[in-house]
Amino acid sequence: MSWNGVEISKEQIAAGMAQGAAQNSRLSDVDEYGFERPPDFDYQSYEEFMSKYLTVLTRRARKWSHLLGAKETVGRGIKVKRYVRKGIPMKNRGKIWMEVSGGKAKKIANSGLYQSLLKGPFNDDLVDIIKVDVPRTFPDNIYFRDYNEGKLASLHNVLVAFSHHNKSVGYCQGLNYIAGLLLIIIKDEEDTFWLLSVLVNDLLPQYYTPVMVGVLTDISVLEAIVKERAPLIWKHVKHYGLTWGLLTTKWFICLFAEVLPIETVLRIWDCLFYEGNKILMRVAVTLILSNQEQILMSQDFADIIECFKKITRDTNAIDCHMFMENVFKVSGSFPRARLAKLRQEKEEEVLEEMKKEKTIP
Amino acid sequence: MAQRGGAQRPGNGGGQGKICQFKLVLLGESAVGKSSLVLRFVKGQFHEYQESTIGAAFLTQTVCLDDTTVKFEIWDTAGQERYHSLAPMYYRGAQAAIVVYDITNQDTFGRAKTWVKELQRQASPNIVIALAGNKADLANKRMVEYEEAQTYAEENSLLFMETSAKTAMNVNDIFLAIAKKLPKSDNTASGSPGGTVRVEPNQQTQGAAGCCK
Repeated sequence: MSWNGVEISKEQIAAGMAQGAAQNSRLSDVDEYGFERPPDFDYQSYEEFMSKYLTVLTRRARKWSHLLGAKETVGRGIKVKRYVRKGIPMKNRGKIWMEVSGGKAKKIANSGLYQSLLKGPFNDDLVDIIKVDVPRTFPDNIYFRDYNEGKLASLHNVLVAFSHHNKSVGYCQGLNYIAGLLLIIIKDEEDTFWLLSVLVNDLLPQYYTPVMVGVLTDISVLEAIVKERAPLIWKHVKHYGLTWGLLTTKWFICLFAEVLPIETVLRIWDCLFYEGNKILMRVAVTLILSNQEQILMSQDFADIIECFKKITRDTNAIDCHMFMENVFKVSGSFPRARLAKLRQEKEEEVLEEMKKEKTIP
Repeated sequence: MAQRGGAQRPGNGGGQGKICQFKLVLLGESAVGKSSLVLRFVKGQFHEYQESTIGAAFLTQTVCLDDTTVKFEIWDTAGQERYHSLAPMYYRGAQAAIVVYDITNQDTFGRAKTWVKELQRQASPNIVIALAGNKADLANKRMVEYEEAQTYAEENSLLFMETSAKTAMNVNDIFLAIAKKLPKSDNTASGSPGGTVRVEPNQQTQGAAGCCK
């Protein structure tokens, strides 16, 4: 079934729905992106969601095709923003991510750079660290098992080139998953390199640097927002000796990859590349505000941690279209200036704390 | 992906014996086998290519020790040096730590020593620290001598074992050794950092401390 390749006719959808009875046999145990479905995968819920989502995908594909006309990509504007929030069709995704994020402009301005980075010279220590992590990236994905056939060699190249070009960042664990997912989606090695550069340098500065102050700051910002908008949750988490870092670090480092279902992650990344990093905070806030009851019902340390995992995997998280609609509804008005101010305040606190803990000089 | 373990979970209020709950953190350089040790201990599994851990993974496992049931709440942390600034949130309030190195890589032993120092300086004063020389199945590539690590462990009052997550050698043993060494009387537990703890049906812990009933 190739529902993510948008060219799906109404007839095909109808045919798909008619097959609904034979649900389990329709979905293979490997998904469209090469990931093995876990043994406890909820085929029925997923199938129910997909039969609805196919209709959405078809409608969006038609609208996008109309918007694009003969062009391959778009500029910026309110209409484009709305379209992006409703999901970029799979077949246009890579090109549009490159265009709207500025990746393409960087690529053109630095023509030949990627190829020359791959010629070296190399810092052996850096290459060794990357070599250790490459085969440990997505071991549950069929494209990440073979250096000769799959994507492992490309992943190695992208990470090596990136880390040598961005010396202040180098290689940070987590980038392997981000680059890996980009490779799965946009397939092109050089474009992956440029999108990774956009993410790390422009959209998330300070996230992957040697002390990761950006990640710690955003966790602290999230806590402040929760404290203000859901004080009961904030008290509950504190009462059981948990911290927001323990619960949400991976959300931020992996930009929800390896956290939320892949289709949902792609919809978030659509907005990330178009609108910037605010979407990460919106998603995090929404996950918490929409699941307050469940979190409050978890009555010990381990149960709360388990609950925070569950809410990233449940049917609400799987239904990416509703999930994204909900993100903008629930997180509500989110002024950029206020977020910037909060970040500035929290960053100072985080740096102070690091000095106290002696994790930075 | 991390999942909650929890085989043989103790029935609360179900009768004889004490139930103790402890937080344990794994620290050590990237790719020394921290996640593999936990996966072996919690699920009895081993993967040649274990996913690199981001942030930290949380798992639980219960062991029985005479008349005491010990429940470990385990934080398996990311090893890369830059994740260092995140480490305090995982070891803060931990009653036990396993510092892991790879016997085939001398640098990882040096890094293990740095972790031990940091724990001695910054973690709870009563923390039980174990040193694990992992990948013992790769003895033909050994770079860290057993005696060297043992001497270091003795000097620093650490539990020490060489382990292999691959063959399961000493994996349960090191967790059991820690369980034995952890204080299990009410007095000791309430003296541990994080305050007092009650264990009641449906409500196992409060705060971040070890507990007994």
